[in-house]
Amino acid sequence: MFRYKGYTGKYLEVDLSTGSVEVLPIDEALAEAFLGGSGFGTNLLWRRVPAAVDPLSPDNLLIFATGPLNGTLMPNSGRMEMISKSPLTGIYGDSNTGGFLGPELKFAGFDMVVIRGKAPEPVYLWIEDGKAEIRSAKHLWGKDTVETEDALVEELHDPGVKVACIGPAGENLVRYACIQATSSRSFGRTGGGAVMGSKNLKAMAVRGFGAVRIADPDGFYRVAVRCHEGIKSNEIYPAVHRYGTPGIVSLMNVIGRFPTKNFQLGGYADADKINAEALRAGFFVKDIACFGCPVACDKIYRVNEGEYAGTTVRSFEYETINAFGANILNPKLDAILKASDICDRLGLDSITTGRCISFVMELLDRGILTRAGVDGLDLTWGNVEAAMELVRRIAYRQGVGTLLAEGVRRAAKEIGKGAADYAMDVKGQEIAAQDGRAQQSMGLAHVTSSRGADHLKAFPTIDETGYPTEARRRYGDAYLPDMADPRSTKYKGFLVKDGEDYAAVVDSTGTCKSGGNFVLAQIYWDDVAEAVRYATGMDIDVVGLKAAGERIVNLQRAYNAIHGISRKDDTLPKRFIVEPNYQATPEGAVCRLHEMLDDYYRLRGWDREGLPTAETLRRLGLEDTIPRLESELAGRPSRSP
Amino acid sequence: MRLQPNPEKCTGCQICEAFCSFKKERAVWPARSRISVLKWEKEGVYIPFTCQQCERPLCQEACPVGAIGRCEATGALEVDSRRCLGCKMCVTACPFGGMAYDPDRGQAIKCDLCGGDPECVRMCPFGALTFIREEKYAQVKRREAARKLAGLLDLVGR
Ligand code: SF4
Ligand code: SF4
Repeated sequence: MFRYKGYTGKYLEVDLSTGSVEVLPIDEALAEAFLGGSGFGTNLLWRRVPAAVDPLSPDNLLIFATGPLNGTLMPNSGRMEMISKSPLTGIYGDSNTGGFLGPELKFAGFDMVVIRGKAPEPVYLWIEDGKAEIRSAKHLWGKDTVETEDALVEELHDPGVKVACIGPAGENLVRYACIQATSSRSFGRTGGGAVMGSKNLKAMAVRGFGAVRIADPDGFYRVAVRCHEGIKSNEIYPAVHRYGTPGIVSLMNVIGRFPTKNFQLGGYADADKINAEALRAGFFVKDIACFGCPVACDKIYRVNEGEYAGTTVRSFEYETINAFGANILNPKLDAILKASDICDRLGLDSITTGRCISFVMELLDRGILTRAGVDGLDLTWGNVEAAMELVRRIAYRQGVGTLLAEGVRRAAKEIGKGAADYAMDVKGQEIAAQDGRAQQSMGLAHVTSSRGADHLKAFPTIDETGYPTEARRRYGDAYLPDMADPRSTKYKGFLVKDGEDYAAVVDSTGTCKSGGNFVLAQIYWDDVAEAVRYATGMDIDVVGLKAAGERIVNLQRAYNAIHGISRKDDTLPKRFIVEPNYQATPEGAVCRLHEMLDDYYRLRGWDREGLPTAETLRRLGLEDTIPRLESELAGRPSRSP
Repeated sequence: MRLQPNPEKCTGCQICEAFCSFKKERAVWPARSRISVLKWEKEGVYIPFTCQQCERPLCQEACPVGAIGRCEATGALEVDSRRCLGCKMCVTACPFGGMAYDPDRGQAIKCDLCGGDPECVRMCPFGALTFIREEKYAQVKRREAARKLAGLLDLVGR
């Protein structure tokens, strides 16, 4: 019997090449050191997916992992992780989804699903109450994500079935294809959809009727209720509940942090046409929530009239509004909703897709590409119809879509002629709608993130628009006023490190960053330590939890290091470093990255090249990794002291 | 007393299910929750559903050993675990699925209104569940209808 509650203590190991499905016990030591979620995934990639493995080969692992707080009483405990080596970046990759999939997997009796190999023909995985089987998906191949989900719910005779599936983009190995998760939520980033496609795995359907048991029910109940109450009484709760992530459109625009025209500008003149108020007034249907969430930042929106009438979108976020709005100079909200729906159905990460489009638009503008080179599509700024057509061509890899299905970094290399200067990515992953010039910590977060450009690994929110109250609550007075000043680089190394460690824990225990943990900044180390202790019965406190967070971040870094990642890769596109964003500050701000990076490496216990030192690895109980790290790094340019 | 769901306010979060099962089973166990949120995801329709505490309870009528009785204080129909045979007649008889069956204990289980302080009502963050006196029920409904009507008149008036 597995010692700890909160977990089911079991996972599924599926080999699609041989058709074998095994139920295996979770290792207790693994749970103690890595908690679950992205922690489990990181550990598995390190041990089982060496640097030589091509992400789209059968040897890559596709991992779905929950954590000990998934499907419990804790607020926003519906979130789970997908982990795999990324076909987009070639390094560590993960993505997180909300909704109900994670809890359902636990109710079905599993903490994790590990998938390897490649099925000879399209298949889906059907998991129900402690059992799983591989079934033919020949009849589903070619269907979009909505059709796939509907067909599975129908054939499994149960409206409670939760589905994770890919659309045509995943089947066609678009490097940033996402995995859609019931209903309309997605594992958006790093191309898990292409990994699924490469394995001929169309879908995973899950249903469970079991329980998540808790070690100390009374203690756990107390902390859970306290956190629910805390969230509901948080001063920004009403706004976050009412508007969800689109609520920050106006805010970001005012501070010059709203990427416009492929990051050429930090604000959009038509922002009020695509902000949360406009969205709510024109399209709102209903508030919806993920499992166990008192925030309900999610909404259903519907287009009632015009060209796109009938379009219904759930989980419509700030990022997509930016990607298909300001990013391509399109002020039509109904068209953005339509574009979001197209991405969802085809199974594409709307952030990267949008960035691919703005990249092409800029190249056309600058004469690096010609109209003939983009199949005659009129991809001028603001032409959202042409953009939508391009989205379809990307998903099906047709014409210029073939090039863009590779992401901006690979496409820029192919195009040449200086195109790379307009590819807005870090380590091959396109930058989300978070301008690191207007908020210094964000620039740092993008470069230190283990999955390439990313705002969610460190999720610096405290200096977003200056929240001294939150800064004081979390870190005391010592770091103010700089900590809360978005333009100051001071203490940002610390902020990003703490954010990353905490986020690694959140992603590993299975709750939501958008809910109580970062956006509301309501739940923090103490609460999580208490919750994990009561839920699992594990002897863990804040110190232990922080070490777990650091351990996960360091192992991700070590994993990336054996793929050749070091300081030289911890950098931003030229635009962020040398082209000022005048909307952010009258003097013109650029990201002063290197001041912060040195500070960050020092706090992490990494050397000047950004590699974890043996001492740091030993301190975190990762001494096993040292020999391999050293042997794989030998022969690379020597590490400075 | 009446447990009144308001589907318009329900977000489908299943907090009611999680807390209900936790109170009754000391585990998070939606399948054993005495309240279930029925979902039509496409339409965004969520209906929290539980025992109606009927005036003429078919479950009680169907029970061959008289294991189901009404609690004076709350009006809830309760299953007496010492008498329940686990024959499932009540489950079959209830037209709404208000009665459930626990195969581990071999007994019928149902909402008992938590002795007058329902956990689901207490924890629902959106006020989608209310616990009100029968006499007030019609008034509440009428007020809501009137509010909608007022909005409509406003619209026509413009
Ligand atoms: S805050 Fe939003 S994304 Fe997070 S759990 Fe709640 S509804 Fe889901
Ligand atoms: S807790 Fe309230 S909002 Fe959530 S599912 Fe239950 S009734 Fe609906």
